[in-house]
Amino acid sequence: MDTQWPRWEVFKQDAPGKPHQAVGSVHAADPEHALLTARNVFARRPQAVSMWVVRAEEVFSWTKEEIAQDPALRGESRPALGSRPTTYLVFRKTSHKRSMTFVDHVGEVEAYSPQGALREALARFSDAEGLVWWVVPAEKVYKSDPSQETVESWFDPAKEKTYKQQQYYATVSASRPKRRKEDEAFGEGCAHC
Amino acid sequence: MPGRYGVPTDPDYQERLAEFEARIRRGEKIEPGDWMPEEYRRQLIRMISQHAHSEVVGMLPEGAWITRAPTLKRKMILVAKVQDEAGHGQYLYHAAETLGISREAMLEALLSGKAKYSSIFNYPTLTWADIGTIGWLVDGAAIKNQTMLAQCSYGPYSRAMVRICAEETFHHKQGKEMVLLYAQGTPKQRAMAQDAINRWWWPALMMLGPHDKDSPNTEVLVRWGIKTKTNDQVRQEFINEHAPEILAAGLSIPDPELRYDEKSGNWLHGPINWDEFWQVVSGNGPMNKERLEARRRAHAEGAWVREALEAYAAKQKKAAVAV
Repeated sequence: MDTQWPRWEVFKQDAPGKPHQAVGSVHAADPEHALLTARNVFARRPQAVSMWVVRAEEVFSWTKEEIAQDPALRGESRPALGSRPTTYLVFRKTSHKRSMTFVDHVGEVEAYSPQGALREALARFSDAEGLVWWVVPAEKVYKSDPSQETVESWFDPAKEKTYKQQQYYATVSASRPKRRKEDEAFGEGCAHC
Repeated sequence: MPGRYGVPTDPDYQERLAEFEARIRRGEKIEPGDWMPEEYRRQLIRMISQHAHSEVVGMLPEGAWITRAPTLKRKMILVAKVQDEAGHGQYLYHAAETLGISREAMLEALLSGKAKYSSIFNYPTLTWADIGTIGWLVDGAAIKNQTMLAQCSYGPYSRAMVRICAEETFHHKQGKEMVLLYAQGTPKQRAMAQDAINRWWWPALMMLGPHDKDSPNTEVLVRWGIKTKTNDQVRQEFINEHAPEILAAGLSIPDPELRYDEKSGNWLHGPINWDEFWQVVSGNGPMNKERLEARRRAHAEGAWVREALEAYAAKQKKAAVAV
C-alpha cells in the first residue's frame, strides 16, 4: 500500500493585515497533518503568522487566457429554487514580476457556483487586471490556530535561528573572515586543533 | 477543444505557438491552465523532477555528517541546511505536479532508479571540510543555475526558484565562511580544506551540464524562456566568481591551465573530463548505488509512519461521519 495522499494548497500570511498568499502545496492525510506539514515546508524562515490549507480539488482556477476562451463562464445558470448561496474566498494574481508567491487573497463573494463566484469576483475586484483567479468555498478552508500561544510556538522559532539568514555571514571575505562572539562561544576551530 | 494539447498535428498549433512565443517575449509568465506546447510541458517535467530528485538525494552526503559536526553551531547550521534541501524538493515536486505528473509517479521513478538527479551527489563526502566545500562550490554552482531559472517563463518553476535562491544563499555563505576559516587555520585544517577543493572543483564544473555544443535541449529551452542562459555561460559566471576567491584564500585550484584572460575578463579553464561525467550520469559514479539504496531504505523504513497517519485520518473521518 503506497498511494499518494491528497494534495493541499497552502496559503501563508506574513504579518497581520497582509493577505494570505498561495505558496505551494503539500500532500497530507488530513487537515491537521496538512497544516503541520505546510508549516514545516513553508515557514522555516520568518515571516509567518497564519497558514491556511485547502484540498487542491476544491480550488477552482482560471487564467486570463482561459477566461477569454470560455464563453460558458458568461452564461448564468439559474440557482435551484430555495437554494442558498455559498461563501467563496477569492484569490488573484496581478503581476508577471518575479515573486515567490502566487495568488493573493482579495476578499469573499457569495455565489451559487464557482463560475458564479468568479463572475462576481471579476465585477467586484476590478481595481487591477487579474492574470489568474482562484475561488475556494470558504467552508473547505482549514486555518492555523490564531491564538497567540500557537502563533508563537509555530512561527517564532524561525526568527531566532539567525544563522539561517544570509546577513549572518555578511562579513565573509576571502582575505579575512571575521570571527564573531558566537564563534568563540561555540569554540569554532577547537575541535581540530 | 482543438489545440488544447499543444501537439504539432493540431490544426491551430502554429497559430497558438506564435501567440505563446509572443507571450514569452513580452516577459509574461505561463501559468497552469494556459495553452503550452506539449514539448514545453515535457521539457519542464523532465527538468523540474530531476531538480526535485537532486534536492532529495542531496540530503544524503551532508546528512551523514550531522552527528560528526565539530561544534554545536556547525551542527545547527547543517541540520537547518539539510532541512532546507528537503523543503526545496517539496517546492519543486509541487511545481512539477502543476504540469500533470503525480508525486507518486515521480517518487517511483526515483526509487526505481529510472530518474536522473544531479551527478554531483554521487561523489562521497570524505572529511568535514567537504561539508564547507559543498556549500561554497556545489551550492555556489547551483545558485548560479537557480538564479537564472528564477527568470523562467513557467510561473510555478520560477516561484519555486525565487524561494530556493533566497534560502540557498545561506548554504553558500556558511560553506564559504567555513572553508575560509580552515584556510587560515592550522596546517592540518588548511590541508583538509585544500584536499576538499581538489576533489570538488571539477565535479562542480561538470554539474552545470555538458558544453553548449553537446547540449541538444538548450536551443529550445532558451527560445521558450525555460532557460535564459546556456550551460557554458552559467559555468563561466561560476568560475569568474569562485576562482579568484579560492586563490585569494591561499588555496589552489586543481587545473594547471586555469588562467585569467584580460581580453574577455573571464577565467578560462582547462579541458573537462566528460568521460567521468557521463560515467557518473549513467550510474557508475562512486556513490550511485549507495545513494539509491539509502533512499529506498528510508522510504521502506518510513512506511509504518505513513500507514499510521492514514489510519489516524481514516479514524477522524469515521468519527466526523458518526457525529
